[in-house]
Amino acid sequence: MGVINDNISRRKFLSSSFMALGLGFGLGMFGLRFLQFLSPKTKTDRFEEILVGSISDISDSDATVMEIAGSKIVLLKTDTGLVAFSRKCTDLGCLVSWDKAKEQFICPCHQGIYDRNGKNIAGPPPRPLDRFQVVQKGENVYVKVKTA
Amino acid sequence: METLIEQTAEKSLKDKIIDLIQKEVPDYMNNFFYCMGATPLILFLVAAATGILMTFYYIPYPEKAYESVMAITSEIYLGWFIRGLHKVSITMMIFTLSLHLVRVFVTRAYKTHGELKWLIGTMLFFTTLAMGFTGYSLVYDQVSYWGMTVVMNMAEEMPLFGPPLAYLLRGGAEVSELTLLRLYDLHTKLLPVLLILLIGGHIIAITVLGFAKVEGSEGKHLFYPEHAMKVGLVAIGLLILMINLVMIFPPTIGQMANPSEVASNVAPPWYFSAVYKWITIAPRQPALFALLFFSAIFVLYPYIDRFLTERGFNMGRINIVLGTVAVAIFSMLTIWNVLF
Repeated sequence: MGVINDNISRRKFLSSSFMALGLGFGLGMFGLRFLQFLSPKTKTDRFEEILVGSISDISDSDATVMEIAGSKIVLLKTDTGLVAFSRKCTDLGCLVSWDKAKEQFICPCHQGIYDRNGKNIAGPPPRPLDRFQVVQKGENVYVKVKTA
Repeated sequence: METLIEQTAEKSLKDKIIDLIQKEVPDYMNNFFYCMGATPLILFLVAAATGILMTFYYIPYPEKAYESVMAITSEIYLGWFIRGLHKVSITMMIFTLSLHLVRVFVTRAYKTHGELKWLIGTMLFFTTLAMGFTGYSLVYDQVSYWGMTVVMNMAEEMPLFGPPLAYLLRGGAEVSELTLLRLYDLHTKLLPVLLILLIGGHIIAITVLGFAKVEGSEGKHLFYPEHAMKVGLVAIGLLILMINLVMIFPPTIGQMANPSEVASNVAPPWYFSAVYKWITIAPRQPALFALLFFSAIFVLYPYIDRFLTERGFNMGRINIVLGTVAVAIFSMLTIWNVLF
Protein backbone atom coordinates (compact mmCIF):
# COMPACT_ATOMS: atom_id res chain seq x y z
CA MET A 1 0.00 0.00 0.00
CA GLY A 2 1.36 3.38 -0.98
CA VAL A 3 1.10 6.61 0.94
CA ILE A 4 -2.12 8.26 -0.15
CA ASN A 5 -1.31 11.86 0.70
CA ASP A 6 2.07 12.80 2.06
CA ASN A 7 2.07 16.57 1.70
CA ILE A 8 -0.62 17.71 4.15
CA SER A 9 -0.06 21.05 5.77
CA ARG A 10 0.81 21.45 9.43
CA ARG A 11 -2.56 23.10 10.03
CA LYS A 12 -4.37 20.14 8.55
CA PHE A 13 -2.25 17.66 10.47
CA LEU A 14 -2.88 19.45 13.76
CA SER A 15 -6.61 19.74 13.19
CA SER A 16 -6.84 16.03 12.25
CA SER A 17 -4.84 15.12 15.34
CA PHE A 18 -7.13 17.13 17.57
CA MET A 19 -10.13 15.55 15.90
CA ALA A 20 -8.76 12.05 16.51
CA LEU A 21 -7.89 12.93 20.10
CA GLY A 22 -11.36 14.31 20.72
CA LEU A 23 -13.02 11.31 19.15
CA GLY A 24 -10.90 8.93 21.19
CA PHE A 25 -11.64 10.86 24.37
CA GLY A 26 -15.37 10.90 23.66
CA LEU A 27 -15.58 7.21 22.84
CA GLY A 28 -13.41 6.33 25.83
CA MET A 29 -15.74 8.32 28.07
CA PHE A 30 -18.72 6.49 26.67
CA GLY A 31 -17.02 3.13 27.16
CA LEU A 32 -16.10 3.99 30.75
CA ARG A 33 -19.65 5.09 31.57
CA PHE A 34 -21.05 1.93 30.00
CA LEU A 35 -18.73 -0.21 32.12
CA GLN A 36 -19.75 1.75 35.22
CA PHE A 37 -23.38 1.07 34.39
CA LEU A 38 -22.61 -2.64 34.21
CA SER A 39 -20.85 -2.71 37.60
CA PRO A 40 -23.40 -3.05 40.39
CA LYS A 41 -22.84 -1.06 43.56
CA THR A 42 -20.85 -2.74 46.27
CA LYS A 43 -22.70 -2.81 49.54
CA THR A 44 -20.79 -1.75 52.60
CA ASP A 45 -19.90 -4.77 54.67
CA ARG A 46 -21.77 -5.08 57.92
CA PHE A 47 -20.94 -7.80 60.40
CA GLU A 48 -23.38 -9.23 62.84
CA GLU A 49 -23.20 -11.88 65.50
CA ILE A 50 -25.85 -14.47 64.84
CA LEU A 51 -26.97 -17.13 67.30
CA VAL A 52 -26.41 -20.60 65.92
CA GLY A 53 -27.29 -22.72 68.95
CA SER A 54 -26.21 -23.79 72.35
CA ILE A 55 -22.81 -25.39 72.85
CA SER A 56 -24.31 -28.66 74.03
CA ASP A 57 -26.36 -28.97 70.81
CA ILE A 58 -23.30 -28.99 68.62
CA SER A 59 -22.00 -32.47 67.86
CA ASP A 60 -18.58 -33.36 69.24
CA SER A 61 -17.33 -35.47 66.37
CA ASP A 62 -19.50 -34.57 63.40
CA ALA A 63 -19.60 -31.34 61.45
CA THR A 64 -22.72 -29.15 61.46
CA VAL A 65 -23.54 -27.54 58.11
CA MET A 66 -25.61 -24.36 58.01
CA GLU A 67 -26.30 -21.28 55.96
CA ILE A 68 -26.49 -17.95 57.78
CA ALA A 69 -27.34 -14.76 55.89
CA GLY A 70 -25.94 -16.20 52.66
CA SER A 71 -22.72 -17.46 54.24
CA LYS A 72 -22.25 -21.21 53.97
CA ILE A 73 -20.72 -22.40 57.21
CA VAL A 74 -19.61 -25.64 58.76
CA LEU A 75 -19.18 -25.86 62.53
CA LEU A 76 -16.66 -28.35 63.85
CA LYS A 77 -14.89 -28.99 67.12
CA THR A 78 -11.22 -28.95 66.20
CA ASP A 79 -8.08 -29.38 68.27
CA THR A 80 -8.30 -25.72 69.24
CA GLY A 81 -11.97 -25.63 70.12
CA LEU A 82 -15.11 -24.85 68.15
CA VAL A 83 -14.43 -23.32 64.75
CA ALA A 84 -16.84 -21.95 62.14
CA PHE A 85 -15.25 -22.68 58.76
CA SER A 86 -16.43 -21.16 55.54
CA ARG A 87 -17.47 -23.97 53.21
CA LYS A 88 -16.12 -22.07 50.25
CA CYS A 89 -13.10 -23.90 48.86
CA THR A 90 -10.12 -21.54 48.77
CA ASP A 91 -9.26 -22.88 45.32
CA LEU A 92 -12.03 -21.85 42.92
CA GLY A 93 -15.05 -21.35 45.13
CA CYS A 94 -16.85 -24.71 45.18
CA LEU A 95 -18.23 -25.98 48.50
CA VAL A 96 -16.40 -28.44 50.70
CA SER A 97 -18.18 -31.21 52.57
CA TRP A 98 -17.11 -33.09 55.67
CA ASP A 99 -16.07 -36.70 55.24
CA LYS A 100 -16.68 -38.18 58.69
CA ALA A 101 -14.83 -41.45 58.10
CA LYS A 102 -11.64 -39.83 56.84
CA GLU A 103 -11.99 -36.75 59.08
CA GLN A 104 -11.33 -34.48 56.11
CA PHE A 105 -13.03 -31.68 54.22
CA ILE A 106 -13.28 -32.57 50.56
CA CYS A 107 -14.01 -30.33 47.60
CA PRO A 108 -15.42 -32.43 44.73
CA CYS A 109 -14.64 -29.93 41.97
CA HIS A 110 -10.89 -30.35 41.74
CA GLN A 111 -10.22 -32.84 44.55
CA GLY A 112 -9.00 -30.36 47.13
CA ILE A 113 -8.57 -31.90 50.61
CA TYR A 114 -8.33 -30.17 54.00
CA ASP A 115 -7.69 -31.81 57.34
CA ARG A 116 -9.95 -31.45 60.40
CA ASN A 117 -8.29 -28.14 61.32
CA GLY A 118 -9.07 -26.70 57.91
CA LYS A 119 -5.48 -26.94 56.69
CA ASN A 120 -5.08 -27.64 52.97
CA ILE A 121 -3.27 -30.98 52.69
CA ALA A 122 -3.81 -32.14 49.11
CA GLY A 123 -4.98 -30.93 45.72
CA PRO A 124 -4.96 -27.40 44.33
CA PRO A 125 -6.18 -25.25 47.30
CA PRO A 126 -3.57 -22.55 48.00
CA ARG A 127 -4.48 -21.83 51.65
CA PRO A 128 -6.48 -23.22 54.60
CA LEU A 129 -10.26 -22.80 54.79
CA ASP A 130 -11.43 -19.34 55.81
CA ARG A 131 -12.90 -19.01 59.30
CA PHE A 132 -15.67 -16.96 60.83
CA GLN A 133 -15.30 -15.58 64.30
CA VAL A 134 -17.09 -17.64 66.93
CA VAL A 135 -18.33 -15.88 70.05
CA GLN A 136 -19.50 -17.86 73.04
CA LYS A 137 -21.72 -16.15 75.58
CA GLY A 138 -22.55 -18.59 78.34
CA GLU A 139 -24.18 -21.59 76.70
CA ASN A 140 -24.98 -19.74 73.48
CA VAL A 141 -22.74 -19.82 70.43
CA TYR A 142 -22.73 -16.88 68.02
CA VAL A 143 -21.02 -16.65 64.64
CA LYS A 144 -19.99 -13.30 63.24
CA VAL A 145 -20.99 -13.12 59.58
CA LYS A 146 -21.34 -10.54 56.88
CA THR A 147 -24.92 -9.38 56.43
CA ALA A 148 -26.24 -7.42 53.51
CA MET B 1 -20.67 9.16 -24.89
CA GLU B 2 -22.60 9.54 -21.66
CA THR B 3 -24.61 6.41 -22.21
CA LEU B 4 -21.43 4.48 -22.85
CA ILE B 5 -20.01 5.53 -19.48
CA GLU B 6 -23.25 4.56 -17.81
CA GLN B 7 -23.17 1.16 -19.47
CA THR B 8 -19.62 0.43 -18.37
CA ALA B 9 -20.43 1.59 -14.84
CA GLU B 10 -23.49 -0.64 -14.73
CA LYS B 11 -21.61 -3.57 -16.14
CA SER B 12 -18.73 -3.21 -13.75
CA LEU B 13 -21.12 -3.14 -10.78
CA LYS B 14 -22.75 -6.33 -12.00
CA ASP B 15 -19.34 -7.82 -12.58
CA LYS B 16 -18.28 -6.80 -9.11
CA ILE B 17 -21.21 -8.63 -7.59
CA ILE B 18 -20.46 -11.71 -9.64
CA ASP B 19 -16.79 -11.43 -8.75
CA LEU B 20 -17.72 -11.41 -5.07
CA ILE B 21 -19.10 -14.91 -5.39
CA GLN B 22 -17.30 -16.21 -8.42
CA LYS B 23 -13.72 -16.81 -7.34
CA GLU B 24 -11.21 -19.34 -8.46
CA VAL B 25 -10.41 -21.77 -5.73
CA PRO B 26 -7.24 -23.87 -5.74
CA ASP B 27 -7.51 -27.52 -6.74
CA TYR B 28 -6.19 -28.81 -3.44
CA MET B 29 -9.55 -27.81 -1.96
CA ASN B 30 -10.94 -30.96 -3.55
CA ASN B 31 -9.19 -32.81 -0.77
CA PHE B 32 -11.54 -32.82 2.22
CA PHE B 33 -8.75 -32.06 4.67
CA TYR B 34 -8.10 -28.79 2.89
CA CYS B 35 -11.62 -27.44 2.89
CA MET B 36 -12.76 -27.93 6.45
CA GLY B 37 -13.42 -24.26 7.02
CA ALA B 38 -16.87 -24.45 5.44
CA THR B 39 -17.93 -27.31 7.74
CA PRO B 40 -17.97 -25.30 10.99
CA LEU B 41 -19.76 -22.50 9.12
CA ILE B 42 -22.59 -24.84 8.11
CA LEU B 43 -22.77 -26.13 11.69
CA PHE B 44 -22.84 -22.56 13.01
CA LEU B 45 -25.88 -21.81 10.85
CA VAL B 46 -27.70 -24.83 12.33
CA ALA B 47 -26.71 -23.80 15.87
CA ALA B 48 -27.89 -20.22 15.25
CA ALA B 49 -31.25 -21.32 13.84
CA THR B 50 -31.99 -23.78 16.65
CA GLY B 51 -30.67 -21.30 19.24
CA ILE B 52 -33.04 -18.57 18.05
CA LEU B 53 -35.90 -21.06 18.24
CA MET B 54 -35.08 -21.92 21.85
CA THR B 55 -35.05 -18.26 22.95
CA PHE B 56 -38.81 -18.32 22.39
CA TYR B 57 -39.18 -20.62 25.41
CA TYR B 58 -36.14 -20.05 27.56
CA ILE B 59 -36.42 -17.85 30.68
CA PRO B 60 -33.08 -16.49 31.96
CA TYR B 61 -33.83 -16.54 35.69
CA PRO B 62 -32.55 -19.14 38.20
CA GLU B 63 -34.97 -22.06 38.70
CA LYS B 64 -37.15 -20.76 35.86
CA ALA B 65 -34.19 -21.38 33.57
CA TYR B 66 -33.94 -25.01 34.61
CA GLU B 67 -37.71 -25.46 34.36
CA SER B 68 -37.83 -23.93 30.88
CA VAL B 69 -34.96 -26.11 29.63
CA MET B 70 -36.79 -29.08 31.16
CA ALA B 71 -39.93 -28.01 29.29
CA ILE B 72 -38.03 -27.64 26.03
CA THR B 73 -36.51 -31.08 26.51
CA SER B 74 -39.60 -33.01 27.53
CA GLU B 75 -42.84 -31.08 27.01
CA ILE B 76 -42.66 -28.83 23.97
CA TYR B 77 -43.34 -30.59 20.68
CA LEU B 78 -39.98 -31.46 19.05
CA GLY B 79 -38.24 -29.48 21.79
CA TRP B 80 -35.82 -32.33 22.46
CA PHE B 81 -34.99 -32.39 18.77
CA ILE B 82 -34.26 -28.67 18.53
CA ARG B 83 -32.19 -28.70 21.71
CA GLY B 84 -30.44 -31.85 20.55
CA LEU B 85 -29.56 -30.29 17.19
CA HIS B 86 -28.25 -27.19 18.98
CA LYS B 87 -26.03 -29.29 21.22
CA VAL B 88 -24.81 -31.63 18.49
CA SER B 89 -24.09 -28.80 16.05
CA ILE B 90 -22.00 -26.92 18.61
CA THR B 91 -20.11 -30.04 19.62
CA MET B 92 -19.39 -30.85 15.97
CA MET B 93 -18.54 -27.22 15.26
CA ILE B 94 -15.87 -27.22 17.94
CA PHE B 95 -14.58 -30.58 16.72
CA THR B 96 -14.36 -29.60 13.04
CA LEU B 97 -12.95 -26.19 13.95
CA SER B 98 -10.17 -28.04 15.78
CA LEU B 99 -9.54 -30.25 12.74
CA HIS B 100 -9.38 -27.19 10.50
CA LEU B 101 -7.00 -25.56 12.96
CA VAL B 102 -4.69 -28.58 13.14
CA ARG B 103 -4.62 -28.85 9.35
CA VAL B 104 -3.73 -25.17 8.92
CA PHE B 105 -1.09 -25.50 11.62
CA VAL B 106 0.57 -28.65 10.30
CA THR B 107 0.65 -27.47 6.67
CA ARG B 108 1.74 -23.95 7.78
CA ALA B 109 -1.09 -22.46 5.74
CA TYR B 110 -1.08 -19.36 8.00
CA LYS B 111 2.17 -18.35 6.30
CA THR B 112 1.08 -17.48 2.80
CA HIS B 113 -0.79 -14.23 2.23
CA GLY B 114 -0.51 -12.68 5.63
CA GLU B 115 -1.22 -13.56 9.23
CA LEU B 116 -4.62 -11.85 9.39
CA LYS B 117 -6.51 -15.04 8.52
CA TRP B 118 -4.86 -16.90 11.39
CA LEU B 119 -5.36 -14.04 13.86
CA ILE B 120 -9.08 -13.78 13.09
CA GLY B 121 -9.31 -17.57 13.10
CA THR B 122 -7.88 -17.87 16.61
CA MET B 123 -10.32 -15.22 17.86
CA LEU B 124 -13.10 -17.21 16.23
CA PHE B 125 -11.94 -20.34 18.03
CA PHE B 126 -11.92 -18.62 21.45
CA THR B 127 -15.31 -17.00 20.82
CA THR B 128 -16.76 -20.39 19.88
CA LEU B 129 -15.42 -21.87 23.13
CA ALA B 130 -16.95 -18.92 25.01
CA MET B 131 -20.25 -19.73 23.31
CA GLY B 132 -19.88 -23.31 24.54
CA PHE B 133 -19.26 -22.18 28.12
CA THR B 134 -22.04 -19.56 28.26
CA GLY B 135 -24.38 -22.02 26.54
CA TYR B 136 -24.05 -24.82 29.04
CA SER B 137 -24.32 -22.33 31.90
CA LEU B 138 -27.84 -21.47 30.74
CA VAL B 139 -29.15 -25.00 31.40
CA TYR B 140 -28.80 -24.19 35.11
CA ASP B 141 -28.13 -27.70 36.28
CA GLN B 142 -25.37 -28.57 38.74
CA VAL B 143 -22.67 -28.57 36.05
CA SER B 144 -23.84 -25.13 34.88
CA TYR B 145 -23.89 -23.55 38.32
CA TRP B 146 -20.59 -24.89 39.61
CA GLY B 147 -19.04 -24.49 36.17
CA MET B 148 -19.78 -20.78 36.17
CA THR B 149 -18.61 -20.41 39.76
CA VAL B 150 -15.30 -22.06 38.94
CA VAL B 151 -14.77 -20.22 35.64
CA MET B 152 -15.53 -16.83 37.20
CA ASN B 153 -13.03 -17.54 39.97
CA MET B 154 -10.49 -18.63 37.37
CA ALA B 155 -10.99 -15.34 35.55
CA GLU B 156 -10.49 -13.55 38.86
CA GLU B 157 -7.11 -15.26 39.33
CA MET B 158 -5.78 -13.74 36.11
CA PRO B 159 -3.37 -10.87 36.61
CA LEU B 160 -4.42 -7.22 36.21
CA PHE B 161 -7.67 -7.35 34.25
CA GLY B 162 -8.88 -10.56 35.94
CA PRO B 163 -10.72 -9.18 39.01
CA PRO B 164 -12.64 -6.39 37.18
CA LEU B 165 -13.54 -8.83 34.39
CA ALA B 166 -14.86 -11.40 36.87
CA TYR B 167 -16.81 -8.69 38.72
CA LEU B 168 -18.34 -7.49 35.46
CA LEU B 169 -19.25 -10.99 34.27
CA ARG B 170 -20.81 -11.98 37.60
CA GLY B 171 -22.51 -8.64 38.15
CA GLY B 172 -21.12 -8.57 41.68
CA ALA B 173 -18.82 -10.41 44.02
CA GLU B 174 -20.89 -13.63 44.01
CA VAL B 175 -22.69 -15.69 41.38
CA SER B 176 -26.31 -14.52 41.40
CA GLU B 177 -29.34 -14.14 39.15
CA LEU B 178 -27.49 -11.26 37.46
CA THR B 179 -24.75 -13.68 36.43
CA LEU B 180 -27.21 -15.92 34.61
CA LEU B 181 -28.77 -12.93 32.84
CA ARG B 182 -25.33 -11.68 31.79
CA LEU B 183 -24.30 -15.05 30.45
CA TYR B 184 -27.62 -15.23 28.61
CA ASP B 185 -27.03 -11.81 27.05
CA LEU B 186 -23.52 -12.83 26.06
CA HIS B 187 -24.68 -16.13 24.61
CA THR B 188 -27.63 -14.80 22.64
CA LYS B 189 -26.55 -11.27 21.72
CA LEU B 190 -22.97 -10.09 22.14
CA LEU B 191 -21.05 -13.25 21.31
CA PRO B 192 -23.17 -14.15 18.24
CA VAL B 193 -22.65 -10.64 16.84
CA LEU B 194 -18.93 -10.97 17.50
CA LEU B 195 -18.90 -14.44 15.96
CA ILE B 196 -20.68 -13.26 12.81
CA LEU B 197 -18.30 -10.30 12.47
CA LEU B 198 -15.31 -12.61 12.89
CA ILE B 199 -16.66 -15.16 10.41
CA GLY B 200 -17.25 -12.32 7.93
CA GLY B 201 -13.78 -10.98 8.58
CA HIS B 202 -12.23 -14.41 8.16
CA ILE B 203 -13.96 -14.95 4.81
CA ILE B 204 -13.20 -11.42 3.57
CA ALA B 205 -9.57 -11.88 4.59
CA ILE B 206 -9.42 -15.06 2.50
CA THR B 207 -11.08 -13.41 -0.51
CA VAL B 208 -8.85 -10.34 -0.33
CA LEU B 209 -5.57 -11.97 0.66
CA GLY B 210 -6.11 -15.18 -1.27
CA PHE B 211 -5.97 -18.87 -0.45
CA ALA B 212 -2.88 -20.39 1.06
CA LYS B 213 -0.30 -21.74 -1.34
CA VAL B 214 0.23 -25.47 -1.20
CA GLU B 215 3.28 -26.84 -2.94
CA GLY B 216 2.59 -29.18 -5.81
CA SER B 217 -0.92 -27.89 -6.39
CA GLU B 218 -1.11 -25.14 -9.00
CA GLY B 219 -4.48 -25.85 -10.65
CA LYS B 220 -7.62 -23.85 -10.02
CA HIS B 221 -11.32 -24.35 -10.47
CA LEU B 222 -14.35 -22.11 -10.12
CA PHE B 223 -16.15 -21.57 -6.84
CA TYR B 224 -19.49 -21.90 -8.58
CA PRO B 225 -20.70 -24.44 -9.52
CA GLU B 226 -17.93 -26.95 -8.75
CA HIS B 227 -16.96 -25.95 -5.23
CA ALA B 228 -20.37 -24.70 -4.11
CA MET B 229 -21.87 -28.06 -5.06
CA LYS B 230 -19.28 -29.88 -2.99
CA VAL B 231 -20.02 -27.65 0.02
CA GLY B 232 -23.71 -28.38 -0.51
CA LEU B 233 -22.97 -32.09 -0.51
CA VAL B 234 -21.00 -31.74 2.75
CA ALA B 235 -23.93 -29.78 4.22
CA ILE B 236 -26.40 -32.55 3.33
CA GLY B 237 -24.07 -35.15 4.78
CA LEU B 238 -23.71 -33.13 7.99
CA LEU B 239 -27.48 -32.71 8.35
CA ILE B 240 -28.05 -36.45 8.00
CA LEU B 241 -25.27 -37.17 10.48
CA MET B 242 -26.60 -34.60 12.96
CA ILE B 243 -30.18 -35.85 12.79
CA ASN B 244 -28.96 -39.37 13.46
CA LEU B 245 -26.77 -38.27 16.34
CA VAL B 246 -29.70 -36.43 17.94
CA MET B 247 -31.90 -39.52 17.57
CA ILE B 248 -29.26 -41.79 19.09
CA PHE B 249 -28.12 -39.38 21.80
CA PRO B 250 -31.14 -37.24 22.75
CA PRO B 251 -30.23 -34.27 24.97
CA THR B 252 -30.20 -34.88 28.70
CA ILE B 253 -30.34 -32.57 31.69
CA GLY B 254 -28.63 -32.97 35.06
CA GLN B 255 -29.98 -32.19 38.51
CA MET B 256 -31.11 -28.64 39.14
CA ALA B 257 -28.42 -26.25 40.35
CA ASN B 258 -28.07 -26.33 44.11
CA PRO B 259 -26.01 -23.42 45.45
CA SER B 260 -25.57 -25.15 48.81
CA GLU B 261 -24.36 -28.56 47.63
CA VAL B 262 -21.85 -29.55 44.97
CA ALA B 263 -22.68 -32.73 43.07
CA SER B 264 -20.02 -35.43 43.14
CA ASN B 265 -19.55 -35.14 39.39
CA VAL B 266 -19.39 -31.68 37.89
CA ALA B 267 -17.26 -32.59 34.87
CA PRO B 268 -17.69 -30.13 31.98
CA PRO B 269 -18.42 -31.07 28.33
CA TRP B 270 -15.68 -32.94 26.49
CA TYR B 271 -14.11 -29.88 24.88
CA PHE B 272 -13.29 -28.46 28.31
CA SER B 273 -12.30 -31.81 29.82
CA ALA B 274 -8.61 -31.40 29.05
CA VAL B 275 -8.46 -27.94 30.66
CA TYR B 276 -10.51 -29.21 33.61
CA LYS B 277 -8.12 -32.11 34.15
CA TRP B 278 -5.16 -29.81 33.75
CA ILE B 279 -6.29 -27.38 36.48
CA THR B 280 -7.07 -30.35 38.74
CA ILE B 281 -3.60 -31.90 38.53
CA ALA B 282 -1.42 -28.79 38.37
CA PRO B 283 -0.93 -26.19 41.13
CA ARG B 284 -3.34 -23.30 40.67
CA GLN B 285 -1.24 -20.27 39.68
CA PRO B 286 1.23 -22.10 37.40
CA ALA B 287 -1.67 -23.98 35.79
CA LEU B 288 -3.52 -20.78 34.88
CA PHE B 289 -0.33 -19.04 33.84
CA ALA B 290 0.50 -21.97 31.55
CA LEU B 291 -2.97 -21.70 29.95
CA LEU B 292 -2.48 -17.97 29.28
CA PHE B 293 1.02 -18.58 27.95
CA PHE B 294 -0.17 -21.37 25.67
CA SER B 295 -2.99 -19.16 24.33
CA ALA B 296 -0.54 -16.33 23.59
CA ILE B 297 1.82 -18.69 21.71
CA PHE B 298 -1.16 -20.08 19.82
CA VAL B 299 -2.39 -16.65 18.68
CA LEU B 300 1.06 -15.32 17.78
CA TYR B 301 2.34 -18.53 16.19
CA PRO B 302 2.75 -17.19 12.59
CA TYR B 303 5.16 -14.55 13.92
CA ILE B 304 7.08 -17.12 15.95
CA ASP B 305 7.26 -19.29 12.81
CA ARG B 306 8.69 -16.41 10.79
CA PHE B 307 11.18 -15.53 13.53
CA LEU B 308 12.47 -19.11 13.74
CA THR B 309 12.47 -19.67 9.96
CA GLU B 310 14.74 -16.65 9.56
CA ARG B 311 17.14 -18.36 11.96
CA GLY B 312 17.24 -21.51 9.89
CA PHE B 313 14.87 -23.85 11.73
CA ASN B 314 12.94 -26.43 9.73
CA MET B 315 9.49 -25.29 10.78
CA GLY B 316 7.67 -27.83 8.61
CA ARG B 317 9.04 -30.62 10.75
CA ILE B 318 8.76 -28.70 14.03
CA ASN B 319 5.08 -28.00 13.35
CA ILE B 320 4.31 -31.66 12.72
CA VAL B 321 5.98 -32.58 16.02
CA LEU B 322 4.29 -29.73 17.95
CA GLY B 323 0.90 -30.49 16.41
CA THR B 324 1.19 -34.17 17.25
CA VAL B 325 2.31 -33.45 20.82
CA ALA B 326 -0.49 -30.92 21.38
CA VAL B 327 -3.17 -33.27 20.03
CA ALA B 328 -1.71 -36.16 22.05
CA ILE B 329 -1.68 -34.15 25.31
CA PHE B 330 -5.21 -32.87 24.70
CA SER B 331 -6.52 -36.38 23.94
CA MET B 332 -4.66 -37.88 26.87
CA LEU B 333 -6.05 -35.36 29.37
CA THR B 334 -9.55 -35.73 27.91
CA ILE B 335 -9.52 -39.53 28.08
CA TRP B 336 -7.97 -39.42 31.55
CA ASN B 337 -10.77 -37.13 32.72
CA VAL B 338 -13.51 -39.24 31.16
CA LEU B 339 -12.18 -42.55 32.47
CA PHE B 340 -11.11 -41.59 35.99
